[in-house]
Amino acid sequence: MNKISIIAASMASQAGLAGARLGQRFGRLDLQSQLALLAVASLNVDFTAQPPDRIGICLAASAGSLSTDINFWNGRNGTGGPSPTLFAYTLPSAAAGEIAIHFRLTGPNLCFVGDDKIVLPEGADLIRRGDADGCICVFCEAVSADCGKLISLPPMATACAIFLKRGDGLREWREFDRDMKPLCALISPAKSAV
Amino acid sequence: MQISTHELKSKIIESLKLQDIIPEQIDDDAPLFGTGLGLDSIDALELVVLLERDYGIVIKDIEEGRPAFRSVKTLAEFIAAKRPQ
Repeated sequence: MNKISIIAASMASQAGLAGARLGQRFGRLDLQSQLALLAVASLNVDFTAQPPDRIGICLAASAGSLSTDINFWNGRNGTGGPSPTLFAYTLPSAAAGEIAIHFRLTGPNLCFVGDDKIVLPEGADLIRRGDADGCICVFCEAVSADCGKLISLPPMATACAIFLKRGDGLREWREFDRDMKPLCALISPAKSAV
Repeated sequence: MQISTHELKSKIIESLKLQDIIPEQIDDDAPLFGTGLGLDSIDALELVVLLERDYGIVIKDIEEGRPAFRSVKTLAEFIAAKRPQ
C-alpha cells in the first residue's frame, strides 16, 4: 500500500507550555524541545499501537539551536560555568531525541535546519522507502530575542506537528502538501483520525 | 556548618528544573540517581555546578564526589564538611 495519509495535526506555542504536564523532566528541556514535545503530545496519537522501531521522526528547526547556543554562551561567565544541561541542547536534533525518549520510539530520525517545506516530503519518503510505517513530522520556530537580533528575525516560539502514516487517515498526503503551518491550522486536533 | 536538607532539596528542584515535585516529597535517604529521584549524568554535572555556585565547593575529582551524590542526606553532609568557612 503506497497511500500515505495525515493522521493528526497540532500546534503549540509558548503560551501552552505553562500548563503542559509532560513529566518531571519537562522543565529542563530547552524551549525548542519543549515546543516540539508539546506539539507531538497534542497530536493525541497512541504511538504504542505500532512497533516503536516503525515510527520515524522528521524535524526541521527554522533557526537550528541558535537560541540555546546563545543562552549557553551567555552563561560562560557565571560561577561554575555555563549550564551542562543547556549544552545537551546545543544541537538542533536534540528535540527529535526528546520526542523519541518521551514516546520510547526507536525508528529512524532526520533533522534539518530550515523552513517547514522539507519536513513532510522527507517524512513521506521515510515511509515510501519502507524505513517506517509512520512518521512524526515537526517544525519548530524557537527564536529568542537575542537570536532574532543576530539573524534579523522577530522572536518566535511555536511548533507544529503532523503524523503521517501508511494507509488511510484524515486525508491523503499529496506532494504539494508542503506548508506545515497552514496545514496544521486547517486540521484541528478535534478532527484528528486517531 | 550543617545545612538544611529542605533548603538543599529546594535548590536541587530549582537547579534541575524538576516539575511537579516539592521538597517534602524527596526522601532524605532516597538515591538521587537511577531509582529514587531518577537523576541522570547531566543532572550530576548540574549538581557539581550547584555546589560551586551556591556553596563554593569545587569538585575536581569525580571519585571524591561520588559518595556524596548518593542521597540528599549524604550531599548535605558533604557540603557541611567541605564548605569554606
